[in-house]
Amino acid sequence: MERREPHDPGEPAYPADVDDAPPDPRSGLAIVAAQRRKVRDSDVDDRLLFGVWGVAWLVGYAAQWWTATTSPTRTATGQGGLVFAAVAVAALVVTLVHVARATHGVAGTSKQVGMMYGWAWTIGFVGQGLLVAGVVGAGGNPEVIAIVANGAACLVVGLLYMAGGALWQQLSLYLIGAWMIATAAAASLVTMPTGYLVMALAGGGGMLVAAVLAALHRRRA
Amino acid sequence: MSEVDLDPVIHSASRLRVVATLAALERGDRVSFPRLQKLLDMTAGNLSTHLRRLEEAGYVTQTKTHVGRTPATYVELSTAGRLAFERYTHTLTQLLKGAQE
Repeated sequence: MERREPHDPGEPAYPADVDDAPPDPRSGLAIVAAQRRKVRDSDVDDRLLFGVWGVAWLVGYAAQWWTATTSPTRTATGQGGLVFAAVAVAALVVTLVHVARATHGVAGTSKQVGMMYGWAWTIGFVGQGLLVAGVVGAGGNPEVIAIVANGAACLVVGLLYMAGGALWQQLSLYLIGAWMIATAAAASLVTMPTGYLVMALAGGGGMLVAAVLAALHRRRA
Repeated sequence: MSEVDLDPVIHSASRLRVVATLAALERGDRVSFPRLQKLLDMTAGNLSTHLRRLEEAGYVTQTKTHVGRTPATYVELSTAGRLAFERYTHTLTQLLKGAQE
């Protein structure tokens, strides 16, 4: 590679830089690709999040289904609900810790976008909780309560996944959001307790498939 | 198209790595000095020198701020820097194409 002078003749020549120059275009582009990978690897890992939530949904809904099969109301018992709450909280903690670590030291547009997106989840679930409280207060029977609670929660999840997919141009996130809404709709149309099983297999299973697809996509990129 | 068209500010493996890293962030994002240093695996002194050179060229903006009581520096690629980087990689691609023809 030929030696060149900086544009401005008055500028110092930085002699060390000439030796530091990428030897050819191919290695220059390789440097760019390597750093792009490095930045992506330090960012939020969709494989991890899909995997964690896939397992949480699978285990949590399977436990609810299991307790509902022997329950006279055909809905999950307190114990089933407790297992579901425990795995959901565990998955939430993993998510929050991972996102906090992955985004630490980055400020600007994406931080603001992330904050607004995060608050959308909080507001969505506060709304869902109040809606369910309203149904309980109106004297809804356990099956009605279960269907409304699950349907509203999955609508929040599905729509926010779709919004996130559109926001960050992640087709997998967008599609899994649509799939979650379809799954929750199907679960509310079949009789209880089969709805829980639909949620466990199609919902949790679907998210685990998304984790595998994300891993494959990353290996190809 | 020849190597003469390559921007001398970016045409250094170290600074290309710095600029490529900053360009890989979302547009409008700033990164803290320690995080950038980790992404680059460079010594603080080395990174500072390259950042100063990039700042002189108007390719990078450094913002000094405080996180709590600790001072923190955030680094961002300027519009001119992003443009120069895109032009640089475009030239590399063209040179590579030319070499293959």
